[in-house]
Amino acid sequence: MKAIQIALKDLVRSYRSAFALMFMFGIPLFVTGMFYLMFGNQSTQPEASLALPVTRVVIANLDAGDKALAQSLVLSSGTNGAAAGSLGDLVVDSLQSPALAEFMQISLAADEASARVAVDTQAADVAILIPAHFSADFSAKHGQASLIIYQAPALTTGAEIVIAVLGQVADGLSGNKIAVDTVLAGDYRGDLQSAAVLTAQQYLQASAAFQDPAALIELHAPVQPAATSSPLTSIIGPIMGGMMIFFAFFTAGSTALSILKESEEGTLARLFTTPTRQATILGGKFLAVGLTVLVQVTLLLIVANQVFHIAWGALGAVVCAAVGIIACAAAFGIFLASLMRTTRQGGAVFGGLMTVTGMLGMITIFTGGSAGAVERVALLTPQGWAVRGLTLAMQGASLNETALNLLVLLALSGLFMGAGIYRFQKRYA
Amino acid sequence: MSNEAIEVMELRKQFGSNGSTVCAVDGVSFTVRAGEIFSLLGPNGAGKTTTISMLSCLLRPTGGDARIYGHSIRQDAMAVKSVLGVVPQDIALYEDLTARENLMFWGHMYDLSGALLKKRVAEVLEIIGLADRQNERVGKYSGGMKRRVNIGVALLHQPKVIYMDEPTVGIDPQSRRNILDSVVALKQQGITVLYTTHYMEEAEEISDRIGIMDHGKVVACGTNAELVQTVGAMDRIRLTVNAEAALVLEHWKAMAGVQQVTVNEGADGAGLTLLVDDSNRVLPRLFESAAAEKVRITSVEVQEPNLEAVFLHFTGRALRD
Repeated sequence: MKAIQIALKDLVRSYRSAFALMFMFGIPLFVTGMFYLMFGNQSTQPEASLALPVTRVVIANLDAGDKALAQSLVLSSGTNGAAAGSLGDLVVDSLQSPALAEFMQISLAADEASARVAVDTQAADVAILIPAHFSADFSAKHGQASLIIYQAPALTTGAEIVIAVLGQVADGLSGNKIAVDTVLAGDYRGDLQSAAVLTAQQYLQASAAFQDPAALIELHAPVQPAATSSPLTSIIGPIMGGMMIFFAFFTAGSTALSILKESEEGTLARLFTTPTRQATILGGKFLAVGLTVLVQVTLLLIVANQVFHIAWGALGAVVCAAVGIIACAAAFGIFLASLMRTTRQGGAVFGGLMTVTGMLGMITIFTGGSAGAVERVALLTPQGWAVRGLTLAMQGASLNETALNLLVLLALSGLFMGAGIYRFQKRYA
Repeated sequence: MSNEAIEVMELRKQFGSNGSTVCAVDGVSFTVRAGEIFSLLGPNGAGKTTTISMLSCLLRPTGGDARIYGHSIRQDAMAVKSVLGVVPQDIALYEDLTARENLMFWGHMYDLSGALLKKRVAEVLEIIGLADRQNERVGKYSGGMKRRVNIGVALLHQPKVIYMDEPTVGIDPQSRRNILDSVVALKQQGITVLYTTHYMEEAEEISDRIGIMDHGKVVACGTNAELVQTVGAMDRIRLTVNAEAALVLEHWKAMAGVQQVTVNEGADGAGLTLLVDDSNRVLPRLFESAAAEKVRITSVEVQEPNLEAVFLHFTGRALRD
């Protein structure tokens, strides 16, 4: 109970400081606001359009085809006039349409492994893997075929475009199959009108059953289209997230520094003269660090969502990311504060170490690099793991993926916290 | 049960290790009776604050022990802390909180809560005279007002013993008067007060008993009257001369009726303090001796025996040196 009182007191003190408020909320929101106005203004001008980068797509078409399907569907010629021997060929042909050349640059891979390697080595942004039994699965009665999308984790807008285009192709194919099935089944009264009505009914039933218009072809993609709802928010989302993490670590550090500040002001010594155990006093101070960052991160997530329409991702994944950020920022701040003897050293440590680790942690946001050396450098810092957690949530990663990242952050937090507690207890023993 | 609120037994605190050690408190022993005001009087660096810090369980003694209402500071620190109120030398408050918020917070730390806490906060605000300004942030208060809140915090849980470590340093005469009055008021409520100061007048005015500290030791202890008696009926003569003290020093030391001479060299000559049996008989001889050495006495002050003289007697130097 006393620990909570100490934490609440520190929380009140933190939020009464105009300087602290500026760092906690003002700067992250201001920087994001600047980007929002800059890009938002462009997108609202009728003449101007947001220039999107061309997405490099590599396709591994392994589809072996299906005899029955070839007879049923009209596969003799694709949209480009080329012959299509399988459903996979038709998908490739559709994506190679000249109309899509502005958004996608298509290349073909011999097999699935080489397509994945192309993405891993950043030779391509997205790989589309068409399985060998794609046509067979599609043509089977009540069958469902799959297309697998493999992408660079940081790429959001390009992947969304690819998914949207594939969704349209899948829609068309599904509709065709239902129409052909209806005709082949002969379950109509002979006139074209009843055949069309029956086809539409079956298509709707099939769609409702899978809750997806492209129900007969399932897209396996690591991206949730809802997570980043527009190109604008997909640009400012990571920036806001990065700013939030950068300043959350600063907030934690400066709140942890209040232990030394209280020591210099004499209030810590006075606390030690009250019938309150040392562990309770230090526990309260540590709790204050966590609470302060908790309020900061929660408010920033909500305000950014409401003001800038940034979709942070599924609730569970965002909670995982936020818990990781809060725990690691608090522990890292306490650890750094424990290394200092006076608050005067705080400027050098926070201005230097916290800024360097913060910038390194955010490097993937600004370089777009999510694999290879760039990410490895970022993950050398706790901020890098925090950024990774939030990026995963924004990209619609599953709860399992974000939980794994959370475990890493919690492990780091444990290490930092343990070292910080040890040093502080030793100092005030 | 013993009438002694505080028993200090051979308390000792040594800082540093191996070659460079400093003994801040060197075997201090004294007792404070329940309900009395006991002052530790001594110059800066005498060891008063270190003693208070050990008695507050802030510093662990290198040797010796102390009992506060029977609780050992070594064995039972939490019990000691629960009967203590400590007023630190420097103001230890949260300046960005209001006086009321400060008192509420510190009340929680002293295990008060709910209606009792609110009642005590209201009472203390009345006692320190800040009820009408309780919602102002402490940072906006004057130095005297901050001192009053600083004392108020120590009163919240109605402690049996209050330590006040030089609470009047650096404040205006009016606030100083208020604080001294409040110390006396605490005694009237039956609270034991351990008060440290380097102002002799304060110790003389409010204390039931006084311990004189110098270089980490209690060199004398007793009531004001008892301490003054230890230097007998000696008068103290302070005088300044317009030349080097050495010219008259040996003559005056050897003079009949002079017990002790100390020298303070100054810009305009030398200041000397003499302990003498009878100032009326010694003074004319001092003037004669000075004239013989062609030294001019530029000022003279004669004082009846007091704590200053006691301090001079036991330490060989003036309290304000």
